[in-house]
Amino acid sequence: MSVQEILADDQDPARASGAQAVVLSTRIRLARNLAGHPFPGWAKAPQRQEIAERCIAALVDLPRFRRGHVLRMAQEADLDRAVLVERHLVSKELASGQAGAAVISRDQTCSVMVNEEDHLRLQVLRPGWHLRGTWNLAEQLDDALAAALPLAFSERLGYLTACPTNVGTGLRASAMVHLPGLCLAGQMDKVTRALNQDGLAVRGWLGEGTEAAGNIYQVSNQQTLGLAEEDILKHLGFWIKHLVEQEWNARRKLALDEGEKFVDRLARSFGVLRHARLLSSSEAMNMLSHLRLACDLGCLPEALRDQVDRLLIEGQPAHVQVRHGSPLDSDGRDLRRAAVMREALRAFPEVGPPSA
Amino acid sequence: MSQPLQCSLCAEVATVHLSQVVGGKVTKVHLCEACAGKGGAVDPAVFQLADALQAPAAAAELTCPRCGFTDVDFRKRGRLGCPACWETFGGALSPLLLKVQPEVAHVGRAPAGTAPLGQLRHRLAAARAALATAIAAEDYEQAAKSRDEIAALEAALKPA
Ligand SMILES: [Zn+2]
Ligand SMILES: [Zn+2]
Repeated sequence: MSVQEILADDQDPARASGAQAVVLSTRIRLARNLAGHPFPGWAKAPQRQEIAERCIAALVDLPRFRRGHVLRMAQEADLDRAVLVERHLVSKELASGQAGAAVISRDQTCSVMVNEEDHLRLQVLRPGWHLRGTWNLAEQLDDALAAALPLAFSERLGYLTACPTNVGTGLRASAMVHLPGLCLAGQMDKVTRALNQDGLAVRGWLGEGTEAAGNIYQVSNQQTLGLAEEDILKHLGFWIKHLVEQEWNARRKLALDEGEKFVDRLARSFGVLRHARLLSSSEAMNMLSHLRLACDLGCLPEALRDQVDRLLIEGQPAHVQVRHGSPLDSDGRDLRRAAVMREALRAFPEVGPPSA
Repeated sequence: MSQPLQCSLCAEVATVHLSQVVGGKVTKVHLCEACAGKGGAVDPAVFQLADALQAPAAAAELTCPRCGFTDVDFRKRGRLGCPACWETFGGALSPLLLKVQPEVAHVGRAPAGTAPLGQLRHRLAAARAALATAIAAEDYEQAAKSRDEIAALEAALKPA
């Protein structure tokens, strides 16, 4: 029932406005473990269960999670777990195992994955670019957690984690960025290399493979030890600001150089979404990326961007099926997805020239 | 028939085979679908880790007294067994850590009541700089304060 509540909830960050032209969302993740207990990947099943229940009991007592959701993966249907992944509330790894659980705040801003690679993965996710505010929330949550549970910490190595790539601060700060300008300009490889060389990872929409559907990327820090949280955040902040500028430069140049051809490209994507009878997930995402760009540039009213963002999530395979009410095969999903898009775009005006 | 390759990061059968140039040399990585899906394919840190993990597996030389995890387990999984494993494997992991992390000393947040060594070291460096500045400015009151702070920090940093 709880996943249904999450889907129905108006507080849903995916529906809430606040995403920006380039940065869709800001995320802070902290890896924490209970002192004196084997990590989830090495613990025996009964130990894992005991750890999970202990963590959950401590979490539901925190004010932040009052009236929140507790979801034990073993008890959730496959589709419901996939919905949580598509909303970035839990990772694929957590959803695919049986030992994990997620505790999610009422407003879906804060979530804690229990028994992922580490005992606890705290996550704060907010629409738009709000590194400072997101960090402050994470810090509060971390303090509350440390007061409730004995965390594994070493004075020399910091927070002890299962994987050496997380030890120290356990901090992964990231921004989800929409980069259609840089992608269309063929500059993404260059940008990725530059970010990699300066210690930042670039991943796709759900963290999978190299191909980023919908021109959406996750940029995050890689180093967690030997740097203070403050410096990690500053470093990411510096690059995201730079990336946003680069993206706008690329967009302006495309609009200027290609003129009517550029608007035509966006308008064609609109036409496909508005009229197609079958749409695959990646096709829908790539077309929605163009619509989002159209909103950013004023080719469509900017106020429609939130609706486009909602469709990016509603077009995901598990969302299509859950909204439909039963599992669908690939063809069935493509048919249903196209219907969702046609219906949602019915009230959209025509794609026009950029506003400035 | 050849043996199926094992994933460089866990014990699963590798189905994704990649090579990437890291620091001027070609690194080959074999990943299972799950690990590749985790973003391993585009994460240079993972490549470097996998590279270090591909050292030929030998008999276990280190065992965590707390959870029984061995260095052979680590080479197979790329993950440790429990928080206490860091005491057993921390030293052996230092070169590996330095491939993915800038420094092997925590300088960030800490639970109440603890002060990470890295933080103390940074404060010590700052106090020494403040002392030099104070002496140059002939501010002897500040210099005395900095000297006290340096002494306290040096005492705190002395290995027990
Ligand atoms: Zn694997
Ligand atoms: Zn251990």
